[in-house]
This record gives sequence, structure tokens and C-alpha cells, in this order.
Amino acid sequence: MKKRWACSLLSAALLLTLTACGQGNPQTNGGGTGTSTSTAAHHSSYPEKPLVVVAPSGAGGGWDKTARSLAKVLVENKQIDQPVTVENKPGGGGVVFLSEYVTKDKGNDYRLFVNSPPLLINHRKKEGNSPFGYEDVTPLAQLTKDFGAIVVPADSPYENLKQLLEELKADPAKLTMAGGSAPGSMDHLIAVLPAAKYGIDPKAVKYVSYDGGGEAMAALLGGNADAIATDASSLGEYLKAGRIRVLGVSSDQRLGGHLADIPTFKEQGIDASFTIWRGVFGPPEMSAEAVAFWDKTLEQLAASDSWQAELQRNAWESEYRNATEFKTFLAEQDRQINELLQSLGMAK
Amino acid sequence: MSVISFLLDGFATALAWHNLLFAFVGVLIGTSVGVLPGIGPMSGVALLIPVSASLTAGLPPEEAAASAIILLAGVYYGAMYGGSTTSILLNTPGESSSVVTTLDGYQMAKQGRAGTALSIAAIGSFVAGIVSLIGLVFLAQPLSELALTFGPAEYFSLMVLGLCAVSGLGGRSMTKALLMTVFGMLLATIGIDNVSGVARFTYEIPVLYQGLEFLTVAVGLFALGEVFKTIHETGRQSGAIAKVGRVIPTRRDLRQSAGPIARGSLLGFFIGLLPGAGATLSSFFSYVLEKKLSKHPERFGKGEIAGVAAPESANNAASGGAMIPLLTLGIPGSGMTAILMGALLMYNVQPGPLLFSDHPKIAWGLIASMFVGNLMLLVLNMPLVKLFAKIIETPSQYLLPIIIAISVFGVYAVQINTFDLVLLVVCGVAGYFLSKHDYPLAPLVLGLVLGPMIENNMRRALTTANGDFTIFLSEPLSLLFLLLAFLWIALPLLVRKRGRQVVVSEEY
Repeated sequence: MKKRWACSLLSAALLLTLTACGQGNPQTNGGGTGTSTSTAAHHSSYPEKPLVVVAPSGAGGGWDKTARSLAKVLVENKQIDQPVTVENKPGGGGVVFLSEYVTKDKGNDYRLFVNSPPLLINHRKKEGNSPFGYEDVTPLAQLTKDFGAIVVPADSPYENLKQLLEELKADPAKLTMAGGSAPGSMDHLIAVLPAAKYGIDPKAVKYVSYDGGGEAMAALLGGNADAIATDASSLGEYLKAGRIRVLGVSSDQRLGGHLADIPTFKEQGIDASFTIWRGVFGPPEMSAEAVAFWDKTLEQLAASDSWQAELQRNAWESEYRNATEFKTFLAEQDRQINELLQSLGMAK
Repeated sequence: MSVISFLLDGFATALAWHNLLFAFVGVLIGTSVGVLPGIGPMSGVALLIPVSASLTAGLPPEEAAASAIILLAGVYYGAMYGGSTTSILLNTPGESSSVVTTLDGYQMAKQGRAGTALSIAAIGSFVAGIVSLIGLVFLAQPLSELALTFGPAEYFSLMVLGLCAVSGLGGRSMTKALLMTVFGMLLATIGIDNVSGVARFTYEIPVLYQGLEFLTVAVGLFALGEVFKTIHETGRQSGAIAKVGRVIPTRRDLRQSAGPIARGSLLGFFIGLLPGAGATLSSFFSYVLEKKLSKHPERFGKGEIAGVAAPESANNAASGGAMIPLLTLGIPGSGMTAILMGALLMYNVQPGPLLFSDHPKIAWGLIASMFVGNLMLLVLNMPLVKLFAKIIETPSQYLLPIIIAISVFGVYAVQINTFDLVLLVVCGVAGYFLSKHDYPLAPLVLGLVLGPMIENNMRRALTTANGDFTIFLSEPLSLLFLLLAFLWIALPLLVRKRGRQVVVSEEY
């Protein structure tokens, strides 16, 4: 019996060692590239190794689809002759990946990642905080945009955003707002943003979170929520079928397509806007030549027909910002998000 | 009837030779994916989306979409079939919905009835697939509206009923079963709370933000725990290799399974309809239901065939039921259907209220191909059973390392995180000690699944009702579930108090 115990202890120990070995791997393909390749002068040979684009989530979500579309079109357009693979790094809404990336992939020009407003939100919020934000990585370009929308069922008594907000102001306990993610995350911010700008205490707004936009929509259609906050791009079908009424969208100008009749928040006298941007980022201390390469490559990509076709397939709107513009934009977004979280008492 | 003619059109699409081929490739890949733990149906389909896109590139858009979806749905169904294989043979659940199958399936395999267990799982899955498809064809619209009215209060009460039913999952002691349930629910509180956004028990460690991954815990407890147990016990019964036994179930087996399969299919279908509840829950519920209905509840957990037939039928029926909210409302009820929805969107097909009128070819083609796929799976799986069952004839000195490798690989493939590997080993050790002292593992795992659901739905309901607890009693469905839960616990106690002789899974 003693012997068997030793045996299983040993095997457990071996397993753990194996585990520890696994941790070393990502470093090996990263190390040293930043210094060795930057020696080349203006005519660079930059991507001379296979590239990885990380989606900091499981397969199937918005980040994953963006990363996969990006990788696909880059290769299709022959903008890169190296293979581009997509890697999924799920965990903590992107926080797990980011902390590992910032510490271990410094200067690794061959690992990029895709992100959206949660990059800013996670760094600013108190709970589930990410120690790193957009300033710790290298923004390369914004590729797409989407907007938030406030939606009620088609048989709802509220015809416009003002009516809803008036009702909410009179008695916040009467109405239930819902969204597809936890308080302090994107859907919540979109839900309370108009209320906050209308002079309602955002903390008084009843917000119920569901697991994903689909479940939130189910709650709305089933009469278990009075209004929901969600992505504008996901609404088309419900609108066409006459199941919902969209009270407003968070863009500055009216959107196209089936949402052309929907007024913006601003049109209704509520000074609020929120962009759900998606963009590409590089590691901290990325070499100047890699940054220059991506600036050029992503600009070409955004203008290409195949990228536009890919966007259409996914019902995304194109919005390209180069590295410098993107950085300015992020700084402004960061300020706005921090303000909102402060007013909610959820900021760090 | 128009439904019938639509369905016939659908069959015309599904039976086109290239679509038959796609369905076949899909179920084949799906079966292999399902057999390997870790590459569950979700990641399998997600990884295949780009492949299916290039395979169908030459076809006109509408047909390409239909073919790609047929392929992916084949993978989905195949994986649900294949998931039972490792549960039965190696005590290693490939995905959460086949955890319950390990309870009796592995016991059957140990008794040399692996072939029977595998084939009854395949037959049950087939029947359930057909039942849920019939439901999908004729009842999709009314049922999806019904599922929508299921609000947080109803969910909460249904989960309470589920937890009370846990007492049926225990070994000999109900106290131990309840202890493990509570422990599972406690573990489930780790991570960022979805209702308040507050991080609990995370100690600022980012890997804990997401909470403990269910699959990691389940594979650790069941598979690695069993490995450790075998290492310790081989001395006593060295070289005793289980025999595969017969593959085709006997007439008696079939008679015993008919009821469980029928009930499992119906139950699974209705639970699958509810967004968020899904296959895992339905497999647990149907198992507990069978145990309650059985004349010999004491046989459960020791290799009762109903304990394999019911949950395997239920999880397959649930995956069919989950297609209803997806196709009629565009609401994915599970992670898996969310990925299928992503695939549809990629082809500019928006699932939702208009799918059946805008894209009848795709919608009905998909439904018809599911009939075809289910039939293919049955035909494909029956001969494979014998092959798979041979696995357990492998001597344990080779088999154990294989189980360890599969577990580690499977967990890493889903989580891509070394933390989960450490957790896996820890759960393995815990699983060994717990089962050695007769603490049942299934309630722990169920607590882990139900914990967040019960908590979130309770708080959603209370937020909506401004903190008024009577909401759970004023909603008729919710009240009904709570009453049932109360009776479930109270009746056996009452009956025992009167000194009557009844068989209940209670402490004696």
C-alpha cells in the first residue's frame, strides 16, 4: 500500500511538472524578435515568421470572428506571405489574456490581438479589474464599429426615449432594464448612459443582466424586461418581424439600412453617444518598423473589396482609424467611460 | 398540409447527393470530436466554420448556406452522440451533458456490458433525435412563445426542484448528497458575479474571474479520481480485464429502456426549449426522474441500463429542443446554438422570426437533414460500438496513462490555460478521497452547474419585483415547481414517519 501511495504521489507531481512546462511555451516563440529584426533599415523584411492574432475569448464571439476575418482577408489579399493563425485565449472577459500578454510578450512583433471597449472598461472598473489598459499595449488600427441601442417590445407604451426616461425619472423602481452582460460592462453602460445624461441617478436604474444578448432579447420578448440595451447590428430581424421598437441608437448620425428611421439619442435631446469599436493591437514596446508595417497594411486592408465583403457578411460597419487617430480616439473613449463608471460608483 | 409540403421540399434539399455527403462528413467528424473529451461540440463546430465555408465555396449562396449548415448541424448531432462513449468506457465525460451517463454507464462497462450500454445510448439518442425533430416541425412556433414566458421566477423554482431532486443522486446517504450539493454551489460562487458585477473569492487573480470551469472539475473528479482509485486497487484484483460482452441489447434490455428513453426524450425536449437551461440539466433531471419512478432505485449507480438510456436520450432531445428558439426567434439557448447562429449569420442568413418565410430552403433543408443525420448516426454508430468497446479490454497499465493524457489534453484544449490543469489534478485527488468515503460526486457537479443559475435567476426575479419574495408564489408555474419540490422532500419523510415500508433513497 505504501508503495502505491508513493507511486500516485509521484504521478501527480509529474503531472504538475508537465503543467509547469506548458507555461514556458509561449515565451519561446516570442523572445528576442523585437531586438534582432529591428536592425534592418527602412526597407524592412518584417514579417519573416508566422503571425498569430489572438482573440481573448472562446471561439464564436465578436472578437473571435473579427480575428478570423482579419487573418483570412490578410492572406486572401496576399498582403502577407507568412501564415496568419488565430489563437483563442478565453478567461475573465479578456483580462486573463491581457495580463499574460503584457508581461510575457513585450516586444514580440508576431503576436497581435483584437479587442473592443471592454479593454478600457475592464481597466477602469473596480470589480474584476484588469491591471492593464490600452496604454500598456500598442494600438494599431480601428477596423469596425457598432452602436448601442435601447429597445422595447412592439406593444410597449413607450414611443420614444423621452417617454421612457420620464417614466424612469418618476419612479425608477417601476421599470426593469436588461442587457446581456454584468453590471459595469458594456451593455450596462449603454443602458444607463441616456438615463445618466437625463439627470437620473444611474444607480437607481434597475438593471438585470442575462448571459448574452440573445437571452436578454428573450427576456424582452417574453415580457420579463421593459427595455433592453444591446448592439444595434443585432436588431434587424426582430425589427422587420415587428416584434420590437427601437427607441434610439447611440451613434452621432443616423444609421443606414433598416435602422434609418431610428433617431439617435442626440436627436432626442439626450447628449450621449457610445461607439462599440473593434480594433487591432500589438504588444508593448512593439518595434517601430512593425508598427509602420501594420499601419500601412491595415490601411490597405480596410480599403480592399474583400474586406468590405467580409464586413457585409458579418453585418459590421466599416470604420478605419490609423494608429495615431486610434490612440487619440481611445484616450477620449477612456475618459468618457471613466466618467460614466464614476457616476455609477463602479470606477476603480 | 403546408408543413408537410415544406418538409418534403426540405427533404429534396437534404437528399441532394452533395448534401448527403456533407451530412455524412459532419456526423463522422462530430462523432470523433464527441469521443475526444475537450473538443466538445462547441469548439468542434467553431473550428469547422471556416472549413465549411471553403468546402461550399463553389455553390450559389443560398445552397452554400444550406450545405454548410447541414454539415455543422451534423457535427453538432454527432458530437452529442459521441459524448457518451468516453463516459461509459473511461468514466471521462467528454462534455457536461454526459456527466450523468458516467454513473451507470461506467458501472455497466465494468460488469462487461459496455457494448450494451453504448448501443442503448445510440438507440436512445436516435429516438430522442426523432422525437425532438417531430416537435420542431409541428410545434416550433407555439412552443417558442411558451418558452419566452418562462421568466426568472420560473427558472428559479425549476432549479429549486432540481436541487431537491439531488437527494436522489446520492449513494446511501442523503446527508452526504446534500453536503456535496452545497459544496458544489459554494465552488460556483467563485468568479465575477454576473448580477452585481462584483468579484468574489478571486483574490485579484485574473484566472479566477471566470470561475471554475465545469468541465475541468467534472473530468478531474470522475476521470482522474477513477485513475487514482484504480492505481490503489489494482493489487487486489490484478489483471481483471473487463470483457466487452454482447453489443446488441437483449429483448429485456430494450424493454427496460423503452420507458426511460420515451420519458427522457420528452423531458429533454422541453428543457432544451428554455434558453440557458440546456442539455446538462435535462440529463440530470431525466436520471433523477427514472430513479424516482423505478421499482428498484437501489440499482441506480450500479449499472442500471435505465440510468444510461434516460440521460442520453434527454441530452440529445435537448439539443433538438434548443434549435427551436434559435430558428424561430434567433435566440441561441446554449453556447452551441450560439455558434450555429454565428455560422448562419456568416451566410447572411439571420435566424429569427422571419427565417422560415425568408429562407425556407435553408430552414426546412436543415430540419430534413437532421432526420437524415440521425439515421446516419445510428447506422454509423452501431458497428463502431464494438470497436470502441474494445478500448476497455486494454490492460490498465496502458489504459490509465491514456485516460490521463486524454483528460489533460481535453481540458487544455478548451481552457488553453495551465491553471485548469492544476485544478484538474487537484479535483482528481479530491475525487479519489471523496468517492473512497462514499461522498457522491454527481451532486457536487450538479451544484456547480445549478448554483449560478439558481442565484442569478433568484436575484433577477427579485430585482424585477423590487425585492418582494412573493413573486415566486404569485407566478403560477413557479408556484407549481415549488410545490413539487416541497412534496419531493416532504413525502418520503411523512411516509416514513407513519412507519410504512417504502423504498426511498434515505439513510438507514
